[in-house]
Amino acid sequence: MKEKIEELKKLTEVEIANCKSLTDLESFRIKYLARKGSIAELFDTLKNVSPEERPVVGKALNELRSNTQRLFDERKVLLEMSVNVETKIVDLTLPGRRRWIGSLHPITQTLNEIKNIFFRMGFDVVFGPEIEDDYHNFEALNFPPDHPARDMQDTFFISENVLLRTHTSPVQIRVMETQKPPVRVIVPGRVYRNEAISARSYCLFHQVEGLYIDEGVTFSELKGTLVAFAKQFYSSSIKFRFRPSFFPFTEPSAEMDITCFLCSGKGCRVCKQSGWLEILGCGMVDPNVYKFVGYDSEKLSGYAFGMGIERITMLRYGIDDIRILFDNDVRFLKQF
Amino acid sequence: MKISLNWLNQYVKINLPPDKLAVKLTNAGLEVESIEYLGEKYKNFVIGKVLGVPKHPNADKLTVCDVDIVAQNLKIVCGAPNVAVGQHVVVGLVGATIPKNQHDPEGKPFTLTKAKIRGVESNGMICSEYELDIGEDKDGIYILGNDTQIGQAFADFLGLNDVVFEVGITPNRPDCLSHIGIAREVAALLKKQLMVPSIKFKEDKELVSKNASVVIKDSNNCPRYSARVIKNIKIGPSPKWLQNRLSAVGIRPINNVVDVTNYVLMETGHPLHAFDYDKLESHTIIVRTASDGEYFTTLDEKGRELKENTLLICDAEKPVAIAGVMGGLNSEISESTQNILIESAYFNPSNIRRSSKYIGLNTNASQRFERGADPNITVYALDRCTQLISKIAGGKILKGVLDVYPKKFKPVKIKVRLSKVNSILGTNLSSEEVKSLLGRIGIQLKNILKKKDKDSVLLYEVPTFRPDIEREIDVIEEVARLYGYDRIETKTTSYIKFSSQTPKIEFNDELRQWLAGRGFNEVITNSLLSQEVASLTSENVVILKNPLSREMNAMRTSLIPSMLEIVRNNINRQEKNLNLFEIGRVYFSVDETEMSTLVTGYSEEERLILVKCGQSDFLNWSVHERKSDIFDIKGVIEDIFLKILLDKYKFIPYHATKALVDSAISIEIQNIEVGYLGKINDEILKKYSIEQDVYVAELSVDRLKQLYQSDKKYKSLPTFPSVIRDLAFVVEANISFAELSETIKSLGGGLVKSVELFDLYTGNQIDKNKKSFAFTIKFLSEEKTLTDEEVEVVIEKIINGMNSKHGAEIRK
Ligand SMILES: [Zn+2]
Repeated sequence: MKEKIEELKKLTEVEIANCKSLTDLESFRIKYLARKGSIAELFDTLKNVSPEERPVVGKALNELRSNTQRLFDERKVLLEMSVNVETKIVDLTLPGRRRWIGSLHPITQTLNEIKNIFFRMGFDVVFGPEIEDDYHNFEALNFPPDHPARDMQDTFFISENVLLRTHTSPVQIRVMETQKPPVRVIVPGRVYRNEAISARSYCLFHQVEGLYIDEGVTFSELKGTLVAFAKQFYSSSIKFRFRPSFFPFTEPSAEMDITCFLCSGKGCRVCKQSGWLEILGCGMVDPNVYKFVGYDSEKLSGYAFGMGIERITMLRYGIDDIRILFDNDVRFLKQF
Repeated sequence: MKISLNWLNQYVKINLPPDKLAVKLTNAGLEVESIEYLGEKYKNFVIGKVLGVPKHPNADKLTVCDVDIVAQNLKIVCGAPNVAVGQHVVVGLVGATIPKNQHDPEGKPFTLTKAKIRGVESNGMICSEYELDIGEDKDGIYILGNDTQIGQAFADFLGLNDVVFEVGITPNRPDCLSHIGIAREVAALLKKQLMVPSIKFKEDKELVSKNASVVIKDSNNCPRYSARVIKNIKIGPSPKWLQNRLSAVGIRPINNVVDVTNYVLMETGHPLHAFDYDKLESHTIIVRTASDGEYFTTLDEKGRELKENTLLICDAEKPVAIAGVMGGLNSEISESTQNILIESAYFNPSNIRRSSKYIGLNTNASQRFERGADPNITVYALDRCTQLISKIAGGKILKGVLDVYPKKFKPVKIKVRLSKVNSILGTNLSSEEVKSLLGRIGIQLKNILKKKDKDSVLLYEVPTFRPDIEREIDVIEEVARLYGYDRIETKTTSYIKFSSQTPKIEFNDELRQWLAGRGFNEVITNSLLSQEVASLTSENVVILKNPLSREMNAMRTSLIPSMLEIVRNNINRQEKNLNLFEIGRVYFSVDETEMSTLVTGYSEEERLILVKCGQSDFLNWSVHERKSDIFDIKGVIEDIFLKILLDKYKFIPYHATKALVDSAISIEIQNIEVGYLGKINDEILKKYSIEQDVYVAELSVDRLKQLYQSDKKYKSLPTFPSVIRDLAFVVEANISFAELSETIKSLGGGLVKSVELFDLYTGNQIDKNKKSFAFTIKFLSEEKTLTDEEVEVVIEKIINGMNSKHGAEIRK
């Protein structure tokens, strides 16, 4: 019995070296390791061995089996690694074993960059409800009832006094209602407009609102903050301009333009030949707003600004149809 | 609003090219959205005189015309049968773009080049009405009268030598809804003089007060009503200059009287209305509010039911106009009109806005009244209108103005602190500078209340055409605007008080990043959908009163439906292997007595949805295809929980009660349901025309945020080595993995650190009704290195325990 084991051990060591292909290897496995292979046969004869010898022989048989298995495994790895053991050539042009890669939506990526710039300037982030009441969305922002300014934003109504917020500005009011000055926050979020869906407008989009209220805040500082933002976000070489505009909740109000980065200010289709791109609206918080939230407009001053993330994202990546952003074609998403 | 440059030039001398002027206006808050050069279309077209029409040497039907265009004589080959010596014609010069090509089926334009026609050079083209795009006649050339001026540009002849600006006027600036209003701004910007037309006309001896009367019954809504009467006028078309002015700004000419009222509207910004005097019962004007349900037919021949409070202009018997919105059909100016009454009134802005909204009519007049007209301009506008009508339509002007103005509007006086101006703007302006800036737009310094350098207090008076300026801050804005925003320093340092709550990386952002790393693509979908679909996942649907369409008349109550649309669209584009996620809100109406929310009666919840369908993994040459299944999604959820240190979670299978999923598993943490996962049920898939299995998980981000541990603490690593053993058990098919792994752990007496399943087998090698679980068990003691014997003892215990508890047989 012991001799047989020894003999088999030598035999397997010789034969394994002769296995030149996976087919050879499979024959080897069937010959020695399969359920009806030589080693299994030896196990079957174990019952004929005397009880005293049985543990020793059993141990030797077990060793033989694990040794043969090891020889087989090692040879298998070697054969699989190369197509041809003789020449040891591995086809290195085979593609790597890849996994699916995910992506963040371009709107999320733009928003993250905007947030990070304002975080560095000491702004906190806050959120508010999308289903909003008339008071926060309009009245407390100095849009009196029956005022034509309300026409500037087409609104979805849920009831007479409840609506889908048309901008993130109501969160300004909610922050001031619950927080004592100074306030320095940005508010990202989804807003809705009751406008027909087209290449240029969608029924909803995302905004980032900013608000800073403290003692001694000036228009000059508003300009500085937003210019610093634009230089970080777009390019340090951009030129900018602020021009007067109108928002009921700020005064003075302004719109900020930067030189069109698509045509370097020479005029193109995207900037409507003007050389300028409008990127955000801003202004000094109107004293009427302070009245609604119980802030002292004599002691405090501050600024607010807001920008549309879709617009910025589209400008940035050269996307000319807003619907692409909400279409979520994975071939589009995987580009980001 | 359209502003004509020629018209503007009447009130202020502009010495800037149009594009430069546009920049000036834009920088002053009057955004020029586009510039249209009206004459552009007829560049290179001039009027010429035909001097000779000799026959073409090589073609019978052609002539080689000799045409005088003053600058030179041109030889032009012409095929028109009606060309003759002495005619004044329109010549397209080389380089001109002919608006319509007679020989092209669609009439596409083409540009003229110097060309040889049958061997003879032609230096232009004599055009037909059709080619010029001014008529349909193609049969011959267009012949002008002999009084036309040879050599004149055809654009000038048509009155098209104008430039029109489209100016976006913000709702706070009603004063800029007119040419004089814009001219006032231009004058201030260019430091020029504003020239307002002076008015002179002769009145008849007959007194207006003997011929008509005005009664205001609601002076709150109609603070002023001024009127004049002109008799014996002659209705007819307006002169060309007037028609050109109106056409340039987009108003269709109608007849001389109506055109003049529109002209004065566009000139002064004040809306006027002319009534047929003879159709006014008792020649009386009564201003009153409507009664509910009163019926009236407006000029556009539409009958309208009115609401109480709608302000009406009436005669002694009936309404004749909806005040400030539109006149009535019953008193309209017609060809037979001889005598007219002209109205120039001032109405309460909110009343007009309500009327206009209710009736659904937004007119040039209502637009101006609702933003705030100037109550003190009524008589000026009326007289300007009277002057032009009598000049154009003749007639006699009755003596005097009917002017009911019980309570005069006085210019507002505002106290302005110089210190406030500078502290809001961050400037260092002197009171002299402020005075000179404001003076340019008619805001006058009335008094110096306190003279003390930087702390001076000044009293300014604001003209009544600027209803938007009521407070100190409004004046400060004007200072900033006129000073120029670009001249205010861009300050790049800031004094910041530290925030109480430094922003951490948001939970949502962390989750997003992690999922993207795990191979999921983020989507952002529409939160509006149909009520029918929203009702599938909740009874408490929020519904819109004025939706865009029925497909979008409600707010979503689950993230699944909008995600399924994305899945469907991608599959249709042959993108069948999808790993998608979204973090978004769902919305519910709630019982306000049971739940208090920020906006009473409505709640919002942030959720995460994961979707997987198609192949489970990226295929490569050594991995075989496997379809995704529920355990792919379950694995992601388990990994998320591991990532955010939530370990007390439970998966509880249940029979699908959720409308959208089968094989559902509820996910609980600390006995709170945080979401569920499952396979989208077949009926729903059919509804979305999706023909492959879709696996989904929807979790409440809000609840996860409350439960997860944001403070990570280090756990000391084991001091002693662990021992790993594999054990396989054969059990009855109805016994679950969860039961077995629980038993192993509890039998392990604290030494079993983990139990992992590395194989699950059913098949020939074991009984038909059985399955085999193969576990990798990790043993570890925190006190010492475990010996083989100690491990064997525990294994023995586990094998016995599994057998007695589950009838599990150890598999060799
Ligand atoms: Zn451009």
